[in-house]
Amino acid sequence: MNDGGVILRVRALYKTYELGKENLVRALRGASLEVAWSEMLAIIGPSGSGKSTAMHIMGCLDTPDQGEVWLEGRRVDKLKRRELNHVRSRQIGFIFQGFNLIPTFTAAENVALACEYAGMPRRKAKAAAARALTGVDLGDRLSHHPSELSGGQQQRVAIARALVNEPAIILGDEPTGDLDTINSREIMQMMRDINKSTGTTFVLVTHNPEVAATCDRTVCMRDGVVLADEECRPG
Amino acid sequence: MKTVKNVFRRKLRAFLTIFGITIGIFALVVMGSLAEKITLLVNGGTRFYADKVTVSQGGSAGFSVNPISVDRIPAIQAIPGVRLASAGITLPLDKEQSASFGVPAMISASDLRGRNLESFKLTYSQGRELSPDDQGKAVVGADLVQKLNARVGGFIKVRGRSFQVVGILEKTLTIPDDAVIIPFRDAQNIFFNDLPELVQKNINPDMLATGLTIYPKPGVNPDKLAEEIGKKYPQYDAIGPAKFQQQVTNSTHIFTTIVFGVALISLLVGGLSVINTMTMSVYERTREVGIRKSLGASDGRIIRQFLGESAFIGAVGGITGLALGWLFVLVANKAGEASGTVIFLLTTRLAIGSIAFAIVLGVFSGLYPSWHAARLNPVQALRYE
Ligand SMILES: Nc1ncnc2c1ncn2[C@@H]1O[C@H](COP(=O)(O)OP(=O)(O)OP(=O)(O)O)[C@@H](O)[C@H]1O
Ligand SMILES: [Mg+2]
Repeated sequence: MNDGGVILRVRALYKTYELGKENLVRALRGASLEVAWSEMLAIIGPSGSGKSTAMHIMGCLDTPDQGEVWLEGRRVDKLKRRELNHVRSRQIGFIFQGFNLIPTFTAAENVALACEYAGMPRRKAKAAAARALTGVDLGDRLSHHPSELSGGQQQRVAIARALVNEPAIILGDEPTGDLDTINSREIMQMMRDINKSTGTTFVLVTHNPEVAATCDRTVCMRDGVVLADEECRPG
Repeated sequence: MKTVKNVFRRKLRAFLTIFGITIGIFALVVMGSLAEKITLLVNGGTRFYADKVTVSQGGSAGFSVNPISVDRIPAIQAIPGVRLASAGITLPLDKEQSASFGVPAMISASDLRGRNLESFKLTYSQGRELSPDDQGKAVVGADLVQKLNARVGGFIKVRGRSFQVVGILEKTLTIPDDAVIIPFRDAQNIFFNDLPELVQKNINPDMLATGLTIYPKPGVNPDKLAEEIGKKYPQYDAIGPAKFQQQVTNSTHIFTTIVFGVALISLLVGGLSVINTMTMSVYERTREVGIRKSLGASDGRIIRQFLGESAFIGAVGGITGLALGWLFVLVANKAGEASGTVIFLLTTRLAIGSIAFAIVLGVFSGLYPSWHAARLNPVQALRYE
């Protein structure tokens, strides 16, 4: 917990993908980053610079070849599978570009699933899901399936799902990437409000300057390293 | 229920997989019912042959139709250890015996000299037993009632002769079910007519029997006695309980092997099709697994989810297979009753066993695909289209 006001600390991450024998893709080459409690941080950078790779490692979905990840003062990059599942279900919320809802589940079931994985009994999970969906103005869409919802609505379900276990940090990999300008603004405003009211930390990867501008701070990735915003401008 | 929903997401595939198991379990139930019936027959036979020695000439297991002469009885009774020897006749009910499963219908007769020594007691659902001075009377076994259209007081035809039914046997689930018991003298006449003319000329019908039943004195080992009689009369087959047991276990082994074979084949066919279906299902839902893992689902949760589905497939296949098998057994036995050959017996242990087998099969076949799903890398699974 007590990590000098830092909720997420990443030190010198390296990750190399092997495509065949000779073809090595060095996705991360010493990326380091610190995220403060209740901060709303934007990560920008060109395609292929390693943003998603870094997000996956920070979110305990993947492990680095080298480097350290500290979450809420605890080192998490070398945890066992079982412990990683625990961290993912309780300490982190994810929002993806493609929403990633289970198509055969209703909105409420999608959200409740996250509660169940966090160890909540089924009935409580249902109530919590309904509350979370009401919080993103979808109280009247509980039993709709993803295919019956607009893109913006689907992403709001995903936000509700990320929030429902009240994690201290939410990671979003291009959360507005598949949305039009209006929906994009609405979603951004919603996350901004949540951040203000609950103090939940947000780390958002984006290509959208408007989204980045809404955040407290912006960093940039290039060739597998993280640079301060000023260093990003080409030239 | 999510499990049911997920299984039937691909309806045709689900039905085909379930159908595969259904067929396997159906075969298992039908073959198993056959084996259960045989086992029961054999157990009954073992009881029937306990504590005594049967002597016949040629042939096996005492069902010989070679004649043996009744005047041998005094000599055999003189053998030490023999308490009493009784003559009997066992003949096929139909002269032209068609090959069939189970036991063929029989005519059975005895001189009744040993009836007080007999440990295998028959019980009568109607009427009475035969007495030594009955003539032209018959007692009918439970499975032959319908075929012979028998009722107490009425008449039945046995080998063209008319017999009045005086009793109907309670179901024994073994040999007497398929027997018509008639007086010894009448059986001798039928047997005599069966013999070739050449033999007829040299034989006294009053001396005819197909076998002797020998009751040992108390404390005498029937198997030892059989051995002694066999030594003294090498031209006869003397069979004690142990020898009988050995002969029938040989034949029941074949049935056990068949049932195990069917079980194995259904295991292979059904199991492979469940493995295939579950693998496809995991494959199609790779992305869903990725989502679940990103939400922190434990390996156990994912495994349980898919195992639940494969167990469900197994259970549904097992239940429908059992239902079909049960129907088949019911219909086949109903049809068999008319011809006096009831050859299936669906026991509770077989029914429960086959369903349990189907569920275990489903779970077992789902193990690898489920484990595979649980081990998926979440990032790669999420990227999967
Ligand atoms: N599973 C993988 N196997 C092989 N190479 C990979 C894999 N994942 C990522 N890469 C490579 O690693 C590099 C970084 O990819 P990453 O997805 O992190 O980029 P990104 O910054 O998120 O790009 P974008 O803005 O297009 O989403 C790319 O060159 C990509 O091709
Ligand atoms: Mg990316």
